[in-house]
Amino acid sequence: MNWFGLLLGIATLFIIGLGFIWVIRGERYFGYLWWVYVMGAGILLVILSLFIPSNWASALTGVLGASLVWGSTELKEQSIRGELGWYPFRAKKIRPPFADVIEKLKAPHL
Amino acid sequence: MLNTLGIVSATATFMGVWLGHVAVRRIDFTTGNLLPPILTTLGLGLCVETFSLLAGDAAISAGLGILGITFMWDSFEFIRQERRIRKGHAPANPNNPRHARILQESPAATTLDWLKREPRGKPYTAEELQSISEGKP
Repeated sequence: MNWFGLLLGIATLFIIGLGFIWVIRGERYFGYLWWVYVMGAGILLVILSLFIPSNWASALTGVLGASLVWGSTELKEQSIRGELGWYPFRAKKIRPPFADVIEKLKAPHL
Repeated sequence: MLNTLGIVSATATFMGVWLGHVAVRRIDFTTGNLLPPILTTLGLGLCVETFSLLAGDAAISAGLGILGITFMWDSFEFIRQERRIRKGHAPANPNNPRHARILQESPAATTLDWLKREPRGKPYTAEELQSISEGKP
């Protein structure tokens, strides 16, 4: 029996679960415009995982990276949920560097 | 030597979440009875997880292990999606008898997709929400 996949799957469930929390909290305090940086960090983590010799560490880094990329595509909708009053809304958000440029880009949503 | 386990795990995670996200919404929208899709995704998840346990190769075990768990999670997502329909947080399909019943029973349920808009940086007032729900621009 190879328990690696099942245990990794369970760990993935927790990492995705954490995604629910950071997307909600992150959008509230920082705003959805950070999606570019979150997506970039996720892609970097996936690339970094290639250079990690340990199987567990490489796999978990890849999962974390994928979860960041997915979360980056959820930030825009979460922003709308806050504006609609489904989640607490905080007007004062910490804007990312180059926010003016990012505002011109179409935030992804899958 | 590059370790491809991270890429395999990342791909399985992203595709599993994406597929589940889209499939659960589409199936819930059109299906009257949710029990068959709930049992199918649960069974599929258990099957994939069994293959992961039997796989000799770490990458195959990892990919199947992640996909199996996300399929099993999808069976729970069907219940969460119906809750979203009840709360009006996802659009109901009046042509689906189950959704039509929810539209009658739950005052918040709606055919309107509230999230089909761009962020505007400030919260909506009660009056604005009322006029959007009435279909006014």
